[in-house]
Amino acid sequence: MRMTRRHVLKQAGLAAAVTTTSPWWLVRTSHAQRAKKLVFWHVPNFTPLADDLQKQQVYEFAKQAGLKDSDVEYDVVANEQAQAKLAAAIEAGNPPDVMRLYESNVQFYAAGGHLLDVHDLVEKMRKEPKGIFESAMTSVVYKGRAMGVPLAVNPWPVHARLDLLDQAKVEYPKTWDEFVETSKKIQSPPRLFAFGMCLGLVEDTTDNVMNLLWCYGGKMVEADNKTVVMSSPENVAGVKVIEAMFKTHKIIPPGAISWDNSGNNKAYQSRQAAFVMNPSSIYAYLDGNDKDLQKATGLFPVPAGPRGTVNQIDTWAYGAFKKTPYPDLAKGLLDYFMQPANYDKIIQSTGGRWVPVYKRLFDSPFWREKPAFKHFIKMAETGVPVSYAGSPTPAAGEVLNTHLVPKMIQRVLVENWEPARALDECHKRIVEIYARYAKG
Amino acid sequence: MRSVSRTRRSLQWVGNTLLALMLVWTLVPFYWMIATSLKKDREIYGFEATLIPHQPTLANYARLFAKTPFILYLRNSTIIAVGTTIASLVFGTLGAYALARLRFPGRKVIARGLVFTYLVPPALLFIPLFAVMSTLRLVDTHQGLILTYLSFSVPFCTWLLMGYFRSVPLELEEAALVDGCTRLGSLVRVILPMSLPALAVVAFFAFTQSWNEFLYANVFVNSVEVRTVTTGLTLFIVEDVFFWGPMMAASFLSALPPLVIYLIFQRWVVKGLTLGAVKG
Repeated sequence: MRMTRRHVLKQAGLAAAVTTTSPWWLVRTSHAQRAKKLVFWHVPNFTPLADDLQKQQVYEFAKQAGLKDSDVEYDVVANEQAQAKLAAAIEAGNPPDVMRLYESNVQFYAAGGHLLDVHDLVEKMRKEPKGIFESAMTSVVYKGRAMGVPLAVNPWPVHARLDLLDQAKVEYPKTWDEFVETSKKIQSPPRLFAFGMCLGLVEDTTDNVMNLLWCYGGKMVEADNKTVVMSSPENVAGVKVIEAMFKTHKIIPPGAISWDNSGNNKAYQSRQAAFVMNPSSIYAYLDGNDKDLQKATGLFPVPAGPRGTVNQIDTWAYGAFKKTPYPDLAKGLLDYFMQPANYDKIIQSTGGRWVPVYKRLFDSPFWREKPAFKHFIKMAETGVPVSYAGSPTPAAGEVLNTHLVPKMIQRVLVENWEPARALDECHKRIVEIYARYAKG
Repeated sequence: MRSVSRTRRSLQWVGNTLLALMLVWTLVPFYWMIATSLKKDREIYGFEATLIPHQPTLANYARLFAKTPFILYLRNSTIIAVGTTIASLVFGTLGAYALARLRFPGRKVIARGLVFTYLVPPALLFIPLFAVMSTLRLVDTHQGLILTYLSFSVPFCTWLLMGYFRSVPLELEEAALVDGCTRLGSLVRVILPMSLPALAVVAFFAFTQSWNEFLYANVFVNSVEVRTVTTGLTLFIVEDVFFWGPMMAASFLSALPPLVIYLIFQRWVVKGLTLGAVKG
């Protein structure tokens, strides 16, 4: 058959139409064809017991809801890969029904229109006796509606080596000035540095640096989520303190500038740092792997600066995805998880890694009797997210993910910039990000 | 004469030194992995990095087998890698033969297209492929992953085999056809026996690539029952804590199958690779 120009054009047009529409069709069809009625993605915990309990609760709920085990898909998704996997699943129109989300992810996916409104569930939780920690609401409320169910309010205490403090006959320092003096007394570099402050180009650096700046009156953005105040004199004062700790007092290990998020964990777990600021993942790890060090570990509020003590919390939440063909089941599962009796079992099985969102659960001996948890209730009550004084908005998430604060502190510590100049540069970049999100 | 000999000796010495350096470069990470897998947590996290474990222990291996579904991961990786290898050999051979020997319109375009297909990075493909797999209900299945892996193994295998098949004298095949062989018969009886080194390279490539693949396995597989070794390894990272001991034990064990396969087929693989250098 002779190919005419018209024939070629016709074929090319058909090919182009198929190519451009097939992804849409495939996504639509894949969504419609889902075989399971309830899909839950589980991100593993430190303790296998907590994992087992969570799985058990999913199947218990399914049974109550009249589902067979074969109607449930319970998938274990590694923490490191969870976000990439979720992004792909959302793009392909096939996200799970329910999944645990970290801090600013609730805001991010809510802004993208991917999450189910779970306001009614959260309101029900707030009506429980003593209610919930309202500090958790900053992370889950988007445009006045709760789009995620707060699961845990995790403080970032200072993990401190009590045995070293005892040896040096000193108390845990109450202020940052005392902290420096105490550090000098207890450290013996290069084997043991006092302060394992995260300073690498990673998220934990933003957490550690901002937490110290808050104590000096600094912050990233005002509560209006618009006015960036990164170059404030308070922040300059705070950065100068970090600079002195690193360069003059030498209480931070020099290698900290190249740490990843696990750097401070490793430093503490290997007994090479006496103090680290981190969620209680370190404490939970020690529970299963190094009981001696756990016994010698105290969890304390961050020392006070001129503006007092400010502690960071991060809030984890469950999100239910809008794409679910069975929204009632998804919300039903969340409701089942958050029934205080079920919830308390999971919380206690995590060995202190998850701090309960229900205030009344702190009345249990588990939280009252362990000295390490003594300060947790206050930290949960008054803690602030890393985006303080703003909320963990998508803009704040981008600031965190692009490591602007770590770059700022490295300008000062590695490239010897003046703190004011480094903060100015950082301020401008943050302003750009917030302005972009404000435009939509 | 003496000067030439001295120059040759010097060059040999330089060459040997470079080889020794490359050997160290290659083997040290492997050694470090094995050594770490035999250390206790306290030693792994110790202040001094120890080259030889102070108190060697198999606890990490015991934990791997007793507390994680590692054997299941190994089984899944084996099924998927073997399945991909067999399918790649079959499709690659048939495709390469058609492109090398048959005359049909668009042959050159298809041959070039194979290279382009191979060059498209998986990062661009995984979302559309995920949609395809969802539609076909192949997400979270061995078959789905095998089918996906064929997207990168078949183009490469076809391209490589095509070069080899072209190097087989046409007269041999024509003689077989004259003697009554069919096209398929001449492929199986004449061409394939002469291309064993190439088939070994192709099989080794397909097996290793599918054994080590991570991105597709991570996105397309959710359940433990289908999870492969590479994605199973990530479960040894919980939040910001790395469980190095079991992770290194798992890494060491998962590196063994490709190594064993390579050792078995080493002679053919080396021959196949050097032949490819002049025939490709």
